Amino acid sequence: MKILIIEDDEKTAGYVVNGLREAGYGVDRAVDGKEGLYLAAGGAYDLLVVDRMLPGMDGLAVVRALRRSGVHTPVLFLTALSGIDERVSGLDAGGDDYLAKPFSFAELEARVRALLRRPAAAVQQTMLRVADLELDLVKRTVTRGGKAISLQPREFRLLEYLMRHAGEVVTRTMLLEQVWDFHFDPQTNVVETHISRLRAKVDKPFQCTLIHTVRGAGYCLREA
Amino acid sequence: MRFNAFRTTSFRLAALYAIFFGLSTAALLLLVYWYTLGQMEQDVENAVSARLSNLQSVYASGGVSALEQALKRESAQPGIRYRYALIDPRGIRVAGTVPYAGLGVEWQELEGEEGDGDNFELTVGGHGVRLPGGWLLWVGRDVETLHELRERLAGAVSAALAVTIAIALAGGVFLGWQVSRRVESMNRTARSIMAGDLTRRLTVRGTGDEFDRLAEQFNAMLDRIQALMENLRQVSSNIAHDLRTPLAHLRHRLEELRGRALTAAQYQDAVEQAIGETDTILATFESLLRIAQIESGRRRTAFTRVDLSALLEELAETYTPVAEDMDHILTAEVAAGVHVQGDRRLLIQMFVNLIENALRHTPAGTRVALRLPLPVAAGVVVTVADNGSGIPAEERDKIFRRFYRLDASRTTPGSGLGLSLVAVIAELHGLVIEIQDNQPGMRVNMRFPAQGGE
Repeated sequence: MKILIIEDDEKTAGYVVNGLREAGYGVDRAVDGKEGLYLAAGGAYDLLVVDRMLPGMDGLAVVRALRRSGVHTPVLFLTALSGIDERVSGLDAGGDDYLAKPFSFAELEARVRALLRRPAAAVQQTMLRVADLELDLVKRTVTRGGKAISLQPREFRLLEYLMRHAGEVVTRTMLLEQVWDFHFDPQTNVVETHISRLRAKVDKPFQCTLIHTVRGAGYCLREA
Repeated sequence: MRFNAFRTTSFRLAALYAIFFGLSTAALLLLVYWYTLGQMEQDVENAVSARLSNLQSVYASGGVSALEQALKRESAQPGIRYRYALIDPRGIRVAGTVPYAGLGVEWQELEGEEGDGDNFELTVGGHGVRLPGGWLLWVGRDVETLHELRERLAGAVSAALAVTIAIALAGGVFLGWQVSRRVESMNRTARSIMAGDLTRRLTVRGTGDEFDRLAEQFNAMLDRIQALMENLRQVSSNIAHDLRTPLAHLRHRLEELRGRALTAAQYQDAVEQAIGETDTILATFESLLRIAQIESGRRRTAFTRVDLSALLEELAETYTPVAEDMDHILTAEVAAGVHVQGDRRLLIQMFVNLIENALRHTPAGTRVALRLPLPVAAGVVVTVADNGSGIPAEERDKIFRRFYRLDASRTTPGSGLGLSLVAVIAELHGLVIEIQDNQPGMRVNMRFPAQGGE
């Protein structure tokens, strides 16, 4: 997997490049928008990590230009702008995800993996399956080992998200954003509470644990 | 103040108006002049012609002698307005009193210079007619009055024109001066505002004219700017005041680590704690900035139709287990199908803050109720109520202020920003917040503005 990071700040770039290389990815770096556009346009990368604020051509403009020229490489925006509108304008420009600085590396890695995992063409699935856990998207039912599990709507959404990202680490922030549409940090343990409720229904009565906590990062649904 | 009346738009407009008005008045007056005089001149001509034809018939019936007699008779009458002349073929005047030797058939005006009789000087206008045999009969009528009228009228017209233009110009200067004064006063106020005095406002005279309306708009704008600057000042002061402590704390912790021989595990631990502190500080920054952003009103353009019922149902579902884990009970009575205009994500954040506030600042065992009744005349109202310890009446207002914590809850974690975020999001949506005594406990009503057509 090859990743291109377009970031002018040395410290951030170093942090990200080193971290991603250690995680096993091939990483290239561009120092400004023009260089980034030139490299990315070659289409040789699987993921672009783009800083919003770049000298010369800014991140949004780079991505817009890429999209216009038919380059559909997934894009993760990084930004120090904490604006609420920034997320929307980033997605509008053609970005796929958005991470505010400062971020923990675990958060970055989780999102990178999620973006790389996405299939090029979204296959319409009716069923999600991990080990003996089955989730029927049409009937909105869940069974494990043949036994039906009754879930509240939010629990269903949570499980669906975990299953769609089976094998990947999903962070608390990702869950808050995608499952609850919370774009802020709540002051109570919303995620933990629901994960534990979900575990009680999906894991506890069964032998094999599927929902795992990844310390310092988030959660992961996979066979042990 | 350098006032130049002639450079004002008002003066220019007034001058333009004065010119047009003057021109049209002039045209009008000249028309009157020409018409009046024309009529009178026509009258004189007609009279002369009538006389001439009269005399011609006398000649026709009695010849020259009859004519001479008629003329003598006429001229002898006192106070007559006509003058006659009968010129023989040799050019010698035979009868009449007009001495001039250049008479002809064309209309002429002659200065009077009488000869025979006791006739006074008279200016006449008239014309002649040729009689068979080379005679010329000339009749003229007094045109003194006509001339006098002509002069008087000309004088009056000129005077009228002059007065009109003078008045128009004076009016223009006056108007220009008035307008300029008003504008200059606005300029003065604006200058002192720009020099830093944000409390100044433009004077509104109460006449309701366009200047007043302009002043009102500017004042509203200035109110807004003042509020924004105050907001900015407050954010900066909040950041300075309330973040200095945790930052100092963090520094101390890190300082303590310096030069101490700790195990790897101890370092790890200390670093984790430091990261935790930093995260809290960052979250506080985030909230402060978000509050400031929302307050500047930019988000109103992102409003959409929000299913409030569904939103609250989802929150109820999300927070019921959370409440349970905190030894609280969350109940919800949400009527279906209620919609409002707003920003969905901000509304979520606002209600989450209210619910979490109720959960975190009440003792174990408290019931928290979330209610959205079917809107009646009073409109859409969302209520978050608890039966906890409640808030003393004096404190109710203050809890929405940034960083204000009730003394009782100063020890619970959290930056105290949650409720000020509620206040700001509520304001953006035009909501009215009512805090009431739930007897016991606290009840918060969020009243939505009339949705108009919902």
